[in-house]
Amino acid sequence: MLTMRESINIENLSKYYNSFLALENLSLKVKMNEDVALVGPNGAGKSTALKILCGLIYPSSGTAYINGINVVEERERALANVGAIVETPEFYPYLTPNETLSYLGRLRGMGGPDLSSRIKEVLHLVKLDEWAGVRIEKFSRGMKQRLALAQALLHNPPILILDEPTIGLDPRGLVEMREILKKARKDKTVLFASHMLAEVVQVCDKIALIDHGRLLVYDSIPHLRKKYHKSLEGVYLKLTEGAI
Amino acid sequence: MNSEYEKLKIVSRYELLKQFRRKRFYGAVIITILAQVLAIVLYKGLNVPASLPTPLPDTSKLFALFITSVGSSLPILFSVFFAGDSIASEFESKTGYLLFPNPVKKRTIVIGKYVACFIATTVVLVIAYVVSVAALLGFYRQLPVETWGALGLSVVLASSVLSLAFLFSSVLKGGMGATIGTLLTYLLIFPIVSGSLSTSGHKPWFMLNFAGSSITSIYRIPLAEGLFGGRAGGLTPADPTVSLFVMLAYFAFPFLLSIWITQRREMI
Repeated sequence: MLTMRESINIENLSKYYNSFLALENLSLKVKMNEDVALVGPNGAGKSTALKILCGLIYPSSGTAYINGINVVEERERALANVGAIVETPEFYPYLTPNETLSYLGRLRGMGGPDLSSRIKEVLHLVKLDEWAGVRIEKFSRGMKQRLALAQALLHNPPILILDEPTIGLDPRGLVEMREILKKARKDKTVLFASHMLAEVVQVCDKIALIDHGRLLVYDSIPHLRKKYHKSLEGVYLKLTEGAI
Repeated sequence: MNSEYEKLKIVSRYELLKQFRRKRFYGAVIITILAQVLAIVLYKGLNVPASLPTPLPDTSKLFALFITSVGSSLPILFSVFFAGDSIASEFESKTGYLLFPNPVKKRTIVIGKYVACFIATTVVLVIAYVVSVAALLGFYRQLPVETWGALGLSVVLASSVLSLAFLFSSVLKGGMGATIGTLLTYLLIFPIVSGSLSTSGHKPWFMLNFAGSSITSIYRIPLAEGLFGGRAGGLTPADPTVSLFVMLAYFAFPFLLSIWITQRREMI
């Protein structure tokens, strides 16, 4: 059952890649304005879950809802509420950040002076203002990562789905990205996949730890620390023992 | 939120920007113009009408047939280079991770990409025909009405070849593979099938390459058609009306199939 307070609702999601089971009956509910980190070892199924939520792949069974809208059945309507970074972002090299954001903004129904001012705003936020008119083919990985965040925030979506958004950033970029996410989380629901537990603690309230496609634990970070008498890293190591 | 038609216009516009910013587009324009000029120089320099096995009078129609066959075939081949990576590159270059999580139907994206490729190809075709028309008016002071029919058939043939390229692009992982696959199919496999059918006495009217030869057969010049691909194996040349419908079928089915496949393709 759905309640209006649930921004993301994953129900018994399973996904096979041929015979490989990447997700096994994963169920997860993220309430409105909650910030949840999806953590787990490599190959645990984090990216697979996020890709299903973004309509990039189809589940073998189960379903997922965004703001009560079935992603599998009404992909476009569900995605209207989402800003996403999935995997390492790649952009069209022949476009500039201004053109890329204009393209994506228009696809989302934005336009005119509002879109122009919002593009300036988000490019300033990710510190790419000076590069607004330069073709992306000249961009470093870190700059692309910043631009990826800019496009995710462009339409001010109520839900952010971010797959390791800080990969490729230099130390300054890391700090700045975390600050942006901390500000964004105040009025948004964030589902955030990451390997960096220190980052997770700063950005999220709760963690969903998955391994071999199964949900091991889903709880608030302070509660987990209390329950296991360990740091978050210790909890992670204990629950994923033998994973590698 | 925009209607799908509005989104289609947006996708087409930015895909067209992509085509016009690529070096291959300008390469296609330059090579087409150079080939047209070379064809004109050779026609006049070698006196082609008099050199045919059965010499023909040098008329505006024969000249138009000669240069429009060059002016059509090259842009149509270049269209494969415009379209080959259209869908495959979203998966290969991972730009699909940026585009697909937007509230736009995949079929709108595919149609928008097709419209952009079609416009880019048509621009090259029209440039080639402008050269042809200028040469015709310059040398003969007349423009055979069949030239316009040939242009129309060229546009339809280009749309069919684009559809074929889109089908390969929706199935294959890489843009290069899709481009090569389309070229091999159109330039090698189709002619082999057509040639085999012709040799055994069956008119290959349903083959795209044979239907495409209606661009020359529309001029209805005996013998000369055979030299430029309008006649296969001594059989009657392609009928322009039948060929038009054959090419439209080759446009529709691969294109619809490419949409269907792309809608189901996963961004793994």
